Amino acid sequence: MAHLLLDSSIRLWVVLPIVFITFFVGILRHYVTQLIHNDKKVDLQQVSDSQVLLRSRILRENGKYLPKQSFAMRKHYFNNPDTGFFKKVKRKVIPKNPMTDPSTLTDMMKGNLTNVLPMILIGGWINWAFSGFVTTKVPFPLTLRFKPMLQRGIELISLDASWVSSASWYFLNVFGLRSMYTLILGQDNAADQSRIMQDQMTGAAMAMPPDPNKAFKSEWEALEIVEHKWALENVEEELMCQDLNFRGLFI
Amino acid sequence: MSSISELYDVSWEEMRDKLRKWREENYRNSEQIVDVGEELINEHASKLGDDIWIIYEQVMIAALDCSRDDLAWSCLQELKRQFPDSHRVKRLAGMRLEALERYEDANKLYDSILQDDPTNTAARKRKISILRAQGKSSEAIRELNEYLEQFVGDQEAWHELSELYINEHDYAKAAFCLEELMMTNPHNHLYCEQYAEVKYTQGGLENLELARKYFAQALKLNNRNMRALFGLYMGLFATSHQPYTPQNPEAQGFAARNRDEVDCVQLKFQHIHGEGLSC
Repeated sequence: MAHLLLDSSIRLWVVLPIVFITFFVGILRHYVTQLIHNDKKVDLQQVSDSQVLLRSRILRENGKYLPKQSFAMRKHYFNNPDTGFFKKVKRKVIPKNPMTDPSTLTDMMKGNLTNVLPMILIGGWINWAFSGFVTTKVPFPLTLRFKPMLQRGIELISLDASWVSSASWYFLNVFGLRSMYTLILGQDNAADQSRIMQDQMTGAAMAMPPDPNKAFKSEWEALEIVEHKWALENVEEELMCQDLNFRGLFI
Repeated sequence: MSSISELYDVSWEEMRDKLRKWREENYRNSEQIVDVGEELINEHASKLGDDIWIIYEQVMIAALDCSRDDLAWSCLQELKRQFPDSHRVKRLAGMRLEALERYEDANKLYDSILQDDPTNTAARKRKISILRAQGKSSEAIRELNEYLEQFVGDQEAWHELSELYINEHDYAKAAFCLEELMMTNPHNHLYCEQYAEVKYTQGGLENLELARKYFAQALKLNNRNMRALFGLYMGLFATSHQPYTPQNPEAQGFAARNRDEVDCVQLKFQHIHGEGLSC
């Protein structure tokens, strides 16, 4: 493996500046997002539905602490074929076309503006400004397939793929500084790009899935199969068996 | 009259931290809050920074509890000046009107909040408490039922409803509300114990047996719960005296087992009694 000795001024003038730039741009993004963020208006129906779903889920999980009759009553309320909540209630769902619905459009635009655009701009600038030399070495060996990706601007065929250029150091920083942001800005900060990208990938990341009917159906199925095994069947015997530790309780 | 900081030799930071503790743990020691809070506001307002607004809110509610309308009014003025369009401040203004028994004006204020923001739960709950304060419990029950139909997850409301039903002696419905609470908080021994008491009050063999089980559960969750122990004892006593009936052939077996359990519990009671006497 080729051992290269890098000029220490690279460390001073490239590695550290990129870290600082990424960090401060992240903080700037956080505050800009907070400024142009507008509160989402919640629909009463949505709030109510999400609470009903929560109740049904809790019924499934903790129903074993209720008497059999009460559990059956609640299950009946939700799942009865004729009058059960999940069977009867169908919400009228207007599929929100992301292109035409103005509020989601502006949200998407704002999201793009604050997150993707700076990343592209700064990535490009760093690529232009700090090009033509090797910046750092990743501690694990990489295959040759990574070379064109990580070694932009360095045209050396025989160089190990572990030596990377400054652009890849920049991307490493973007993801690596996430925990720093959590430390400084608290949880749930807008500078957390990877989380935002995750949200974009999983689709609509809203408070309530846009299709409550589907949520109802899945909850109905889950509730159908759950059985009631009363947790308090033998509680008295168990209580009598153990020492209640009253000694020293009353001075 | 010496100030709190002189009486107890505490600094303003300690007073502020104490207020925060009371706020987070939902204490209702209003007189203490008023004393400590008033001094903080009057002497150390500049040092508190942004904390002062939440302290204003806390002190205002405590002042309403102690009938200190002057203090409540001044806190409200400060909050209104800082947050002119806030629903939260409007709700506080409504609470002040309630304290002065101007229920019509308070109702109008809450209606205006709800028009603006139909999902505001605080305003709705205040309206229901106005009905309760006026003694109109059946209307309060009806409104609370409607509220719970929409906001099924509000535990405070379920508890309030169970209290209202107990006052109306409608124990079946009170049991339903307590079941909701038990479901969402399975490890809270107080809900188990309250449920068991309601079942015990309803009476009848099945309810008594259920009550026993839930008293036992409450004891299992917290073995210092004396009410649960006493309830368990009474429940065992009651069921052990149920006569044998053809419909319930197990009752005799139950009765025999119950007597054993009654003896067990009695022993434990005597143990405590003895220890209590020895103090």
